[in-house]
Amino acid sequence: MKDQERNGERDPLQGAQDSDDRQWLVAGSRGDRWAGSFVRRSFERGPRLWIAVFIVALAVGGWLILRSSGPAVDETWLTMQERGSWRVGMDPSFPPFETLDGEGAPVGYDVDLAREIAATWGLEAEIVAIGYDSLLDALLVDRVDAVISAFPYNARMTKDVHYSPPYFEAGVRLVVGADAAYGTVEDLDGAGVAVEWGSRGDAIARRLQREGAGFSRLPFESTEKAIEALVSGDSDALLIDGVTLRLAQGEGKQIRAVGAVLDEDPYVIAVSIKAPKLQSALLQALATLDEEGQLGLLEERWFGQVAGSE
Amino acid sequence: MIGRFASYLRRKSDPINRIPPLALWSPRARKLIGALFLCSVLGLTYRSYFRNWVPLGPQRTVATVNPKMGVHTRLTDEPDAAKIKRSLEMVREMGAPWIVEYFPWAYYEPRRGQYEWSHPDLVIDHANRQGLTVIARLGYVPEWARPEDSHHLYLAEEDYEAFGRYAVEFVRRYRDKVGYLIIWNEPNLSLEWGFRPVDPASYVRMLKVVYPMVKAAAPEVQVLAGALAPTLDPPGSEWSMNDLDYLQQMYDAGAADYFDILAIHAYGLGFDADEPAGESVVNFRRSELLREIMVRNGDGDKTAMITEGGWNDHPRWTRAVRPAQRIINTARAYEIASTEWPWLENVCLWVFRFPWDQKSYQDYFTFVGADFEPKAIYLEMQEYAKGRFEAP
Repeated sequence: MKDQERNGERDPLQGAQDSDDRQWLVAGSRGDRWAGSFVRRSFERGPRLWIAVFIVALAVGGWLILRSSGPAVDETWLTMQERGSWRVGMDPSFPPFETLDGEGAPVGYDVDLAREIAATWGLEAEIVAIGYDSLLDALLVDRVDAVISAFPYNARMTKDVHYSPPYFEAGVRLVVGADAAYGTVEDLDGAGVAVEWGSRGDAIARRLQREGAGFSRLPFESTEKAIEALVSGDSDALLIDGVTLRLAQGEGKQIRAVGAVLDEDPYVIAVSIKAPKLQSALLQALATLDEEGQLGLLEERWFGQVAGSE
Repeated sequence: MIGRFASYLRRKSDPINRIPPLALWSPRARKLIGALFLCSVLGLTYRSYFRNWVPLGPQRTVATVNPKMGVHTRLTDEPDAAKIKRSLEMVREMGAPWIVEYFPWAYYEPRRGQYEWSHPDLVIDHANRQGLTVIARLGYVPEWARPEDSHHLYLAEEDYEAFGRYAVEFVRRYRDKVGYLIIWNEPNLSLEWGFRPVDPASYVRMLKVVYPMVKAAAPEVQVLAGALAPTLDPPGSEWSMNDLDYLQQMYDAGAADYFDILAIHAYGLGFDADEPAGESVVNFRRSELLREIMVRNGDGDKTAMITEGGWNDHPRWTRAVRPAQRIINTARAYEIASTEWPWLENVCLWVFRFPWDQKSYQDYFTFVGADFEPKAIYLEMQEYAKGRFEAP
């Protein structure tokens, strides 16, 4: 049998079509012929040895793969557990997200959010006050474990920073009265749309007009006056950011957002890219808080209840 | 599976499966392949050379009712020629004839004596073609001109001449297109002075080295000095020196003969453009105090330029104003320059556009977004330049 095989006098592969296999074999025959011959001879001499080598190679390969893809050590998470606290950087100058109370203690939506998340891990939230433009630097040099500060997503930083899913959308929305029939920008032909003069909403209104939207832009010197125009019926709709909208709703204004966000500005939590355990724990904590309705309660606590909602 | 593998190995040596040697190419095939290769080389060369090239287009002029309008562009980090051109087109379309642009020494002389002018060529040629007057700001020290591990704004006095040589090479190349040079930026901040204690006398020594070199190379080029950051830090601060004190100390050190125009930074912060100047307040009219120091030191014949300034409308920055106030103040600043300050040649406000969003309060100084979408302030200043500006 051995001689027959060496001379190439053997049956075709069982069940193989002659023409198909020929093509496959020709393609495969571009390799090192000497090496192939050596392997073949070795295999013929000791097939068990080769089976053993194959099994060992499989085991070593599997171990290497599992080792490289296994959970890395998360020093941030370990240090948090040892310390018993989660250090959260924020600039307490943006109520109701974060500000200082009369005694200088940080309070606000983000402060409570940090505490709620830390509590799910059995930790205390330690708020570290840092200037807004230094927050990411503080995270990158491990002065804090996370940043929660009405902080925007920045795609350019994703090499160094991991961002949580958004917990608040601050982008510009089309806002109408509670009972208005408008649903999208396309519905606004002939309508008057109030904006704060110079604001992002104003820029979007002008862009929509350049693109052919048929509404009239009604600029006001302040957001408050623009909202008042909508409430009083002097305008049919309004373009404002999500924070201003939510504050107005909390003050009892009977207004609501319709359609998609026109200029996304999500607030996210930033943690180090080198903290995978913290990242997954944060994701889980946010999901849990959302499912339990805690995020909604936090929003109501700091922005007030939306008029007309239960 | 192993059986199939062994069978495969056996069949590889089957003579019937051996690949026959390639036939020699015919002369015609060889010519065809040669022609294809040549076309590929030419195509790749063309693409490489022209990949970042856009036509300059026709010579344009700026239409404006106020020829003192200007902006500080930020094209240093904008590599895309089409975006450079679009930025400068939009400046022209806004009605601003002046721009300040930064030309970092480290970028354009990365090795001593080796210059790389392709990017400045793009910016300056397109600016000229749009009818804009360029004020070039020079600074940023290359590694070879400073001690190892030092800050990129650290320049030892013995290397002032190397900086001067860069300035000379710059004016030699662009003297027909750039008539104004700003020597250094905000030297009254430790941050901008290589994290050393600020030193007005040393800055004046820099002027005394660089100014004669520039004038020898291109006497018509006007040299701007100062560009001081408005600050109220107390005497002895490790971070900065009050700009009024710094300017006086510049004169005390003999600066008057070593600059042609004073560069001023005029930020309004939370104040209206008409808020009166005061030594203890940083606002737009603080420029008048700097002007008084010039006059007091016998330099009243010289002019000044505002090469940075303006207002910010970030929703949470503590020194910002509301968007409406920003628009009104900006229009008023241009108007003050035009009607009240004959000694001021222009107002170049920070900053027209960034190549990408900074995701900080800096984004709220801009006139257009990184995606070129005009902000409301851009459109309102366009109306101002047409004489049609009206607040609602």
